[in-house]
Amino acid sequence: MSEKIIELKEGINAHLIKNDKFKTNLICVMLTTPLKRETVTKNALIPLLLKRGTVNYQSQSEISMKLEKMYGAGFDSGIDKIGDNQAIKFYMESISNKYTLEQEDLLKESIDLLLEIVFNPYMKNNEFIEQILETEKENLRKIIESKIDNKDFYAFNRCIENMHEHEGFGLYKYGYLDDLENITNSDISKYYHNLINEIKIDIYISGNFDEKNVEDILKLNKDISRLHPRKGEYIINNSSTETVQKVDNVRTIKEEMEIKQGKLVIGFNALARGENMTNIGIVFNSILGDGANSMLFQNVREKAGLAYTAHSTFNKLKYNVFVRCGIEIPNYDKAVSIIKEQIENIKIGKFSETDIQNAKNYIISGIKGIEAEQDTEIVFYIGQEISKTRYTVDEYIESIKSVTKEQIIEFANGLQMNLIYFLTGTENEDSENELESQEADNDE
Amino acid sequence: MQIIENSKIKEKMYIEKLENGLTVMIIPKKGAQKKYIIWGVNFGSVDNKFIIGDSEEVTHIPDGIAHYLEHKMFEQRTGINSLDTLSSLGVDANAYTTNNYTAYLYECTDNFYPALDEFMDYVQNPYYTAENVEKERGIIEQEIAMYDDEPDWALYMNTLKLMYHNNPIRIDIAGTKESISKITEKTLYTIYNNFYTPENMSIAVCGDFEPEEILSEIKNRMIIKNNNQKITRVYSEEPEEIKDKKKEVQMQISMPMFMLGYKVPMVNENMVKKDLAIEILGNIIIGSSSKLYKRLYEEGLILSEFSFDFEFARNYSHVIIQGSSKNPEKVIEEIKNEMEFFINQGISDEEFERQKKKVYGNLVKNYNDVSTIGNMAMSNYFKGINMFLYFEEFETLSKEYLEEILKNIFTEDKKVISIVKGI
Repeated sequence: MSEKIIELKEGINAHLIKNDKFKTNLICVMLTTPLKRETVTKNALIPLLLKRGTVNYQSQSEISMKLEKMYGAGFDSGIDKIGDNQAIKFYMESISNKYTLEQEDLLKESIDLLLEIVFNPYMKNNEFIEQILETEKENLRKIIESKIDNKDFYAFNRCIENMHEHEGFGLYKYGYLDDLENITNSDISKYYHNLINEIKIDIYISGNFDEKNVEDILKLNKDISRLHPRKGEYIINNSSTETVQKVDNVRTIKEEMEIKQGKLVIGFNALARGENMTNIGIVFNSILGDGANSMLFQNVREKAGLAYTAHSTFNKLKYNVFVRCGIEIPNYDKAVSIIKEQIENIKIGKFSETDIQNAKNYIISGIKGIEAEQDTEIVFYIGQEISKTRYTVDEYIESIKSVTKEQIIEFANGLQMNLIYFLTGTENEDSENELESQEADNDE
Repeated sequence: MQIIENSKIKEKMYIEKLENGLTVMIIPKKGAQKKYIIWGVNFGSVDNKFIIGDSEEVTHIPDGIAHYLEHKMFEQRTGINSLDTLSSLGVDANAYTTNNYTAYLYECTDNFYPALDEFMDYVQNPYYTAENVEKERGIIEQEIAMYDDEPDWALYMNTLKLMYHNNPIRIDIAGTKESISKITEKTLYTIYNNFYTPENMSIAVCGDFEPEEILSEIKNRMIIKNNNQKITRVYSEEPEEIKDKKKEVQMQISMPMFMLGYKVPMVNENMVKKDLAIEILGNIIIGSSSKLYKRLYEEGLILSEFSFDFEFARNYSHVIIQGSSKNPEKVIEEIKNEMEFFINQGISDEEFERQKKKVYGNLVKNYNDVSTIGNMAMSNYFKGINMFLYFEEFETLSKEYLEEILKNIFTEDKKVISIVKGI
């Protein structure tokens, strides 16, 4: 697996990832811009408007019919938060030309259609259709409100928002209801025209193709040719950009919802800096809470039987570690204390070379698996693009292998607990639960 | 070995029934980085009543036992959990329980054979003690609690409970806090000894393998013998009628969700063809290019596509439609009208051909990665189907067949409605 980067114009790059193992081609157009309160909601609205029609396929159903004729090519769009950036992503997946029943050139059709959806929407007098804007504003409102639906993500989001109140990373990627209300058609239409001529554009294509052929398709594409060169500014996040800020007090935030299982999220700042620190953090995190051998899985789940899910993640752009568990509500104190104990143990070196080797094996296996799926391949290169680092899969593996016990201890000692977030049940709910279980007992 | 082949996607499957009665399926994928193995046991949450040997007595086991047993299979006499051993080798190991079967699996890039030693050892050597069974109870209780908070799960379980009177599919796979409290090491051994027998199991592997070589590696590690134990599963009689029409509950969510279930009578016919036909019908009636979808979307009644699935196994079959709307009653009414429209007007040729092409593309996309292929082989095996049949049956589909299915399945008397609304 390797990536060939072609600069189509300043600020517009194509990333070709050639691989003959898949029966499909996957194309991703990604627009990246710094996360700001002023623009986050508008950016979240853009993909909703764009999927509604293009110059040639003027409605969503026409686009759908076109996709069906292309052997059910899949189209999807979404919003991602990558460090302090907001990424608007558009995907298209279609089967390789050689599996079509009538030798169609589906790759070209897919690239052209996806670019048309992003850069040549159905508009009148350079504005979106009023009725479409109204529907999509309403849809975005529902998406913003649906934040509460998945309790696990909700708790995780709330922890991040509170930890990074004054940074882009602390914003909700779908935006805010207050800002949504005020968006007018002329605002968002002007905003869109500026956006596509200023924003950083990356086009990722994974599949089995002739690189020259794909380069020609892109260079001859009429939608690309209309775009201006641009600076394409974005925020680079990595170990050297994240400032080391000490927190004086660990904050605890508890929120209530009508739920049966409590969701605990603890956020930490990683303060240690130095060479290879990102990979040291990855190994540390694996020992702490990634996988069945990890301390959290072993101690919170297997030994104490407190949780079904208990794991941690390391955000290598923002240098944060997050511990996440779903626990029975009265077990809150016990869980927090067991989690603290695991980190203390790593700080004093209470883990073995075998633990390190297990963690490395697990990580390396994951790295080797990157090439096995097209979307993980693309995500691998997106991560490098955003952090402005370049490495191959083999170099990545070597850096993981080189991590030592002393470095892991150093990383752990630089961890600083920042915030404990707990999504808990309402008082009423608890007593209702008790009633219910009593009734159930009586039934027996 | 028996070899079946599909020329469209250029894939082969090698099948061998071992001496002890266990079936091995091998799907070679040249050049694939990952390797996948899955070991399926024909024992799921629906198997809660059975007769052992020639006994007259029906054994009734607590709900959730198949799932509990799955959790406990990793326990070893040495005290080292097999999941830990496998993770140490850098392989991604897991297990899951469905209504119909239990599966143990791992996926890896390296160390396939060292992992195979551990994998085949733990599935063939149960070790349950009062202590290790007790320890798991809290973990499974938390797993049940997690599902209790998931509106999707409540929506789905209520749909099943509305459709079925006696079929144990209406019982939660993990059981309840109450039912799992009755599970002991003794009940687990009863299940293991009677159901984890070779003729009740199958192994599927997918990855860069030489078929003969991987087959002999599996044979070398196979120790269980066929014990010729006779087990008769007892399923209560299930009427063709639905149990109840409608159920609505409240949970903390932002927009109401609904699910329609259509109970499909169990008749002996070509399920693969039916499955394909229902997928195409779903696209035609409420897919993203349909008139109904366009209308509901533009009226602000729906935000995203519906799911439309035909679920079936040996002893149940039904169609499930799921969506979200601020006004679910209105959307349900519109779906009903649209079905009537298609039943009366029929389907256009253009539409049929376009949706057929889409379904073909979706079939091809399934063959990208080893775990999807392995899982597909396994779930189809327990349905008595070879997965390449989907490409063969695809050729035989006709518009008339779709119209017949539409008339027979989507009737009001077989329909149930489950709704979850916000608090």
